[in-house]
Amino acid sequence: MGHATSQRIETLPAPLQGIVQTIFDWIPLGILVVLWEFASGTFVAESILPPPTIVLSRIVELIVTGDVFSHLFISLFRITVGLGLSILVGVLLGIGMARSKPVENFFDIFLSMTYPIPKTALVPLAILWLGVGTETAILIVFLACLLPVVLNAYNAANDVNQSLVWAAQMMGTSERAMLFKVVFPATIPEIMTGIRQAVPIAFVALVSAELIASNQGMGYLILTSGQIGNYPRMFANIVIISAVAFVAVRGFEEARNRVLVWT
Amino acid sequence: MDGRVTISELEKVYGEGPERTKAIDDLSFDVEGGEFVSVVGPSGCGKSTLLYLIAGFLDTTSGTIAVDGEPISGPGTDRGVVFQDYALFPWRTVFENVTYGLEESGVPKEERQTTAQKYIDLVDLDGFEDKYPKELSGGMKQRVGIARTLAYEPKILLMDEPFGALDQPLREALQDQLIDIWDDLGKTIVFITHDVEEAVYLSERVLIMTRHPGTKKTVTEIDLDRSGSREDIVTSDAFAQYKNAVWKSLHEETQTEVTL
Ligand SMILES: Nc1ncnc2c1ncn2[C@@H]1O[C@H](COP(=O)(O)OP(=O)(O)OP(=O)(O)O)[C@@H](O)[C@H]1O
Ligand SMILES: [Mg+2]
Repeated sequence: MGHATSQRIETLPAPLQGIVQTIFDWIPLGILVVLWEFASGTFVAESILPPPTIVLSRIVELIVTGDVFSHLFISLFRITVGLGLSILVGVLLGIGMARSKPVENFFDIFLSMTYPIPKTALVPLAILWLGVGTETAILIVFLACLLPVVLNAYNAANDVNQSLVWAAQMMGTSERAMLFKVVFPATIPEIMTGIRQAVPIAFVALVSAELIASNQGMGYLILTSGQIGNYPRMFANIVIISAVAFVAVRGFEEARNRVLVWT
Repeated sequence: MDGRVTISELEKVYGEGPERTKAIDDLSFDVEGGEFVSVVGPSGCGKSTLLYLIAGFLDTTSGTIAVDGEPISGPGTDRGVVFQDYALFPWRTVFENVTYGLEESGVPKEERQTTAQKYIDLVDLDGFEDKYPKELSGGMKQRVGIARTLAYEPKILLMDEPFGALDQPLREALQDQLIDIWDDLGKTIVFITHDVEEAVYLSERVLIMTRHPGTKKTVTEIDLDRSGSREDIVTSDAFAQYKNAVWKSLHEETQTEVTL
């Protein structure tokens, strides 16, 4: 971000650089908000595009009254469980496929066939099986996040440098221990890339599922606000979930960089 | 002394059908325990293949390789490879890389640490124990690779163009360090290089391989007086003669390849 400006920023003293860079990074969003404020009530009727000032006051209201939290927590719980399961299964499956031909043959066709299906299209089917609620939301998040995790783990485990495996072998590592001693650690950076791709996907899948199949959660809140014509509240909820997703992505990136000091 | 490698009628074929490539053809060669042998040959003649066969990473197609009379079956801690691409575990620090082999053979922690430290000091890397491989230069990585392999104390060191990617001064420094290590620890060393001068400078014998598919062409004994400095050795007439002999033999192989 901010490549065009970065050269000039480098001439500033170090602590200032960070601050200036941050300001530059947020400028596009600032412009968008200003345009939005301007458009609302001029080009677009205020009733269907409430201005950011009003949306902001609704956000404050939702937070102060605490109305949003129960829904937000439910949503975050579903994401954590769905994403967590997809990481667990995805890593095992990806490494398993790379290490074993039968496992690869069995799941390869399955993954290639499900790849082009938007996982949110499976919501009606999930409702049929699991009913309306948490299980359905978790299943959809899980399915949507599984592919990026599997594919990254699979490719990385397939590509483990032969010399590293040989180096471990010559020092006495058995075929079995190789998985934990070499294959898994060598795959961690790509697993992290897969998770990084999965985090925003998890939010998309969750909100989509909750729009259709839930009586709780942020998706549900967005939908019901819209249905009763309370558009400021609908926008407020959209902004809240977007902000939470943004923080989740940045938080994950920060954690990943700490784990991957060696890359 | 232990660490004798006996290679008899070795043959290695990669792939099958139209992909079939014979990499090594009927190679017999013995390395004495404690000997320093270099292997030179045209690119693609099967030097790395030979080394990986001795290491036990690859299976022979026919023929046998024995260590101290015992035919090998797979990798073993009696042999240690120093890889051309270092092959350090990037997620482990220098120290953790060097202790890896000791961990795998169940050496207690205290002993692991003293042994690892000893070899880290030996390759002049004290102070870098807690660095990750990505923080090191090529020469430092190669020294970690050497320390890691020495640390679990294999009798036989197998080195695949270990200094190939380094600049001249660094290469010379590491060559001299390797000679010191060899003197002190009395290992058998099989050293692959494409640098004739390096082969003559380091080794007691040079195995020259034919072009693809590789087999033994000639073996040159290098009987140099190594008591003097590097300068004394490399400027001596004997050194020049050995170099010429090896170069000529190698050149015949590369010539035929080019005129083909
Ligand atoms: N995994 C493999 N599969 C098929 N053929 C291979 C494989 N590895 C090596 N070869 C072939 O075997 C021959 C010998 O290869 P090798 O790497 O041992 O040569 P080398 O002497 O080490 O060459 P260089 O000096 O370039 O490193 C080459 O013809 C090469 O193409
Ligand atoms: Mg080679």
